[in-house]
Amino acid sequence: MDQQNGYILQVEGLNVCYGAFKAVTNVSFNVSPGEIFGLLGPNGAGKTSTLSSIEGLMQPQSGDILVAGYNIKEKPLYAKANTGVQLQSTSFQPELFVGEIIQLYAGIYGVEMNQDKLDNILSDIKLKDATTKRFGQLSGGQQQRVSLVIAMIHNPRLVLLDEPTSGLDPQSRRQLWERMESLRSNNHAILLTTHSMEEAEAVCDRIAIIDHGQIVAIDTPSALIDKHRHDPEVIKASRKGKITLEDVFIGLTGFAIRS
Amino acid sequence: MQTIIPSSKTVLTALLKADFTTQWRNRKAVVLLLLVPVIILISWKGVADKLGGAFVLSNCITIGLNAVGLMGYSNSIARDRDKGVFQRLRVAPLPSWSIMVSRLLVQLTMILLVTTAVFIAGSNIDKITLAPLGYTLGYMTAISGGAVYLGLGQAIVGLIKNAETVNSTTRLVYFVFIMVGMFGELGMLGEKIGAIVKWSPYGVVKHIISSAMQPGTWDQQTSIALLATVLYAIVFAALGIKKFRWNAR
Repeated sequence: MDQQNGYILQVEGLNVCYGAFKAVTNVSFNVSPGEIFGLLGPNGAGKTSTLSSIEGLMQPQSGDILVAGYNIKEKPLYAKANTGVQLQSTSFQPELFVGEIIQLYAGIYGVEMNQDKLDNILSDIKLKDATTKRFGQLSGGQQQRVSLVIAMIHNPRLVLLDEPTSGLDPQSRRQLWERMESLRSNNHAILLTTHSMEEAEAVCDRIAIIDHGQIVAIDTPSALIDKHRHDPEVIKASRKGKITLEDVFIGLTGFAIRS
Repeated sequence: MQTIIPSSKTVLTALLKADFTTQWRNRKAVVLLLLVPVIILISWKGVADKLGGAFVLSNCITIGLNAVGLMGYSNSIARDRDKGVFQRLRVAPLPSWSIMVSRLLVQLTMILLVTTAVFIAGSNIDKITLAPLGYTLGYMTAISGGAVYLGLGQAIVGLIKNAETVNSTTRLVYFVFIMVGMFGELGMLGEKIGAIVKWSPYGVVKHIISSAMQPGTWDQQTSIALLATVLYAIVFAALGIKKFRWNAR
């Protein structure tokens, strides 16, 4: 099976509920090969529920999610086999060494992994000496690099990155952006969630802003700024006269701090 | 591009390798887990003749099984759930059951290790030896009994989400089981408590292991105890599976 309409990820009419509370309402979007798609929203807006549904960690109440043409409800293993995931707070068994963790996930995804290949992978992310280190002993940036290697170990068509640069220093963040761009140039589709408007503007081809479980805007970063630059709320949010993506985001989602 | 789904065997092999490595790295905890029943066995050396070899061995094995299910299994599950280890595994193309099967196979090994440690210590220290059939049936009933405590451990992690609370609860249940179980079995807590202990998860497991080690003593009461063991295992496991959430949040 291959993806329909050329999309790697198709989300159609997604609804997620927690009891009586509707976390996601009728969310639809698509991500194409070679595209970095950003999902932005304030805390509690429905980003994690949407992402968890795509990851197969949560059963949506209704709606369809297709990864490379496979419906996550009907063919969850096939959809997951086409998806690489970097969770927000990735954790592995603390007793395992980095090399063992990579071998575990290679085994789970059915990827051949000998010592040479493992050494190459770790050299590639400048962590050759980390084979016998535990994941917890690595710095935040190193952990993110290992997590991304594991997410990409089976060369997935869709990569889900959940706030991958939070807590990273500017150098590590730039390095991760370069890796994302390299994945994009290799035709991988990337769905990224982030709270950093700078990051969204720098790497995303298109952005969806989600609030109260609904998509309130979807377009390229520059088109979003152009479209909303005259909105009174956006002008009110502007701090230096020049309208930024952050101003548009605040203008569309409000000034109130979310829990 | 063709989508490749790894076979269950490949997935299980990878999980087992990781889970056994994790267990090996926690070998100090494993040694402690084995030491408790062995120390009790040594401390009972003087009364082994009076109480009977099967009584002493079955008590010690039951205590070891308690530790495997309550201290080992439930705490490792609670910790990994709390840290998000399961969520990371679940986004991979593997059936959820394979994660638990791998964990349970590690615990099955622990059950066999505890039973073997008690048999070896019993033979070398207390000079308690059994017929080959007694050893074989002893292992089989230890596995059945182990299922009760693994089920109970599963029920606890199903009902309690917080890893710290799971840890303190399992310690409390473990302590109550071994103290009330051991002394109740010996009739030191009165007839009423003795009767309750006899049909408790501690009593029935101890009963079937003891009878299995001396197959000639297997009677109707033992068969009822075996039935009770199976029922306990099913009820605890069903409750644990029904209430279990992969995510602690």
